[in-house]
Amino acid sequence: MLSYEQQRRLWSIIFVIPAVAFFGIFYVWPIIQTFWLSLHQWNIVSVPKYIGLSNYQNLFTSSQFINSFQVTTKYVFGSVIPVWIIALAVAVLFNREFRGKDMYIMLYYLPFVVSLTVWCVLWKIIYHPSFGVLTAVTDLFGFRNIRWLNDPRLVLAALIIPNIWKVMPANMVILLAGLGSIPKEYTEAAKIDGANSLRVFWHIILPLLKPVLLYVVIISTISAFQVFTPAYLMTRGGPGSATRVLPLFIYENGFQYLRMGLACAASMVLFMVLMAFSLLQLRFFGFGKEG
Amino acid sequence: MNRKRVRNAVFYIIITGGALLSTAPVLYMFSASLMRKQDIFGMPIRLIPPEVRWANYVDIFTLFDLHRYFLNSVFVAACVVVFNLMFSAMAGYSLAKGTYRGRRIVFYFILSTMMVPFTVIVIPLYILVRDLGWLDTYWALIVPAAMTPFGVFLMRQFIVGLPDDYLEAARIDGCSEVRLFFSIVLPLLKPALSALAIITFTGNWDSFLWPLISISIESLKTLPLGLARFVSAYGTEWHLLMSASVVSTLPLLLIFVVLQRRFIEGMSGLSGIK
Repeated sequence: MLSYEQQRRLWSIIFVIPAVAFFGIFYVWPIIQTFWLSLHQWNIVSVPKYIGLSNYQNLFTSSQFINSFQVTTKYVFGSVIPVWIIALAVAVLFNREFRGKDMYIMLYYLPFVVSLTVWCVLWKIIYHPSFGVLTAVTDLFGFRNIRWLNDPRLVLAALIIPNIWKVMPANMVILLAGLGSIPKEYTEAAKIDGANSLRVFWHIILPLLKPVLLYVVIISTISAFQVFTPAYLMTRGGPGSATRVLPLFIYENGFQYLRMGLACAASMVLFMVLMAFSLLQLRFFGFGKEG
Repeated sequence: MNRKRVRNAVFYIIITGGALLSTAPVLYMFSASLMRKQDIFGMPIRLIPPEVRWANYVDIFTLFDLHRYFLNSVFVAACVVVFNLMFSAMAGYSLAKGTYRGRRIVFYFILSTMMVPFTVIVIPLYILVRDLGWLDTYWALIVPAAMTPFGVFLMRQFIVGLPDDYLEAARIDGCSEVRLFFSIVLPLLKPALSALAIITFTGNWDSFLWPLISISIESLKTLPLGLARFVSAYGTEWHLLMSASVVSTLPLLLIFVVLQRRFIEGMSGLSGIK
């Protein structure tokens, strides 16, 4: 017979077992597998053959992979930097009481509610070279025959624009919540001391917003690196390889060419980059310095 | 006084302009969903349908079987939400109020899995699901999404804040741990549970890469796959494509409008893991 305390402890353990088993099986085991497979040559049917670091060697000498890496980096920073700036600006603008505030937030938020697949399909139509709305607008301004999705110089921007449009509101709302939690007394006091709005923003609001900013920066960067749906639905990586982003590279090599080992090696590189990036950002924002 | 009014007017002009810009693509989607084919493929380009054609919304169900994809998406998302809420609340309760040793280690273990991006594990996950014999079944869509580290984290943070006295009082009355969880803890979790439900539902509704890999038979495909198929099969039927897009956006829009406040609070804690 178990005592009451023992029973209680037993149930607590039973409650957490599904979670531990789940994350072990569906998160930790696969990442170990990714690493293990990245050291093998495997086409899904054959027996995996150990080839050491050859997959990584092949990756770093393959112009396709280097291209994918560059395209992804451009896409990520081309998206997230404007997103941060616009989201912060809009959040500051919204950080006050005014009539219709809830309605305005809802309108700004609308693109984020639309599912990503729909969003990509919609923008494909907006970009259409003869019947797209955006093409009509650019024609109006004298830019004739812009082919957003067929021009290798424009196509990356054509993927970045809808992404900024869709992701900005989600980040704005988080930043707005962060701004709202800064006590008004702080900014009031500084203003009484004669500091102008810009200085108040730079010296008081920004430092206090740091944890929220850090969260937004890390999460938006990590999710931007995982871009797949837009590249798959809007361009299939084209024209040429101008939008063959890393997740698409992984998908194509793994599931179309059945180069599972190579695809896993590319996955590991992506994983390392994301890890390094999160750590770098944590440092950059001075985490751990102030205790 | 006058200066203040001018500033106010400028403020509203700016935010209204921004609101128009951000909603423009969605408004166009709705407008195009009511056009006839020749209105979209015609010059000059129209923004408003010259003649409203509601029949588009009938055609997508009779010609394209949209309801099949729609029902699949609803079923999968509903199951995923139920599993997520149940297991995350259980684990969160255990991690927040449990008395066993190693509790912190388990918590950090789960927290660290937040660092594992989905794209990186997609190949082993496919192999695992294949070996389990789940390819082309609902299991493939539901089980790997049945929990997220973020969900556990959210629940744990919320439950830590619940007062211990409250739980102790029930224990003194001889309430068993299981009953305590279901009849006292769960009701207190309502705000956090609804936030998690919304986040999980919307995240799952959007899921594209995983169904693309794990489902190949038509009858199990979810809405994103259905729309992708629509694009390749009926690429030029834009008016129908747009009506289908509107219909697949509606559930999220509905949730969003009804639970706006909670949605935004929930999104404030959105993680990048899908």
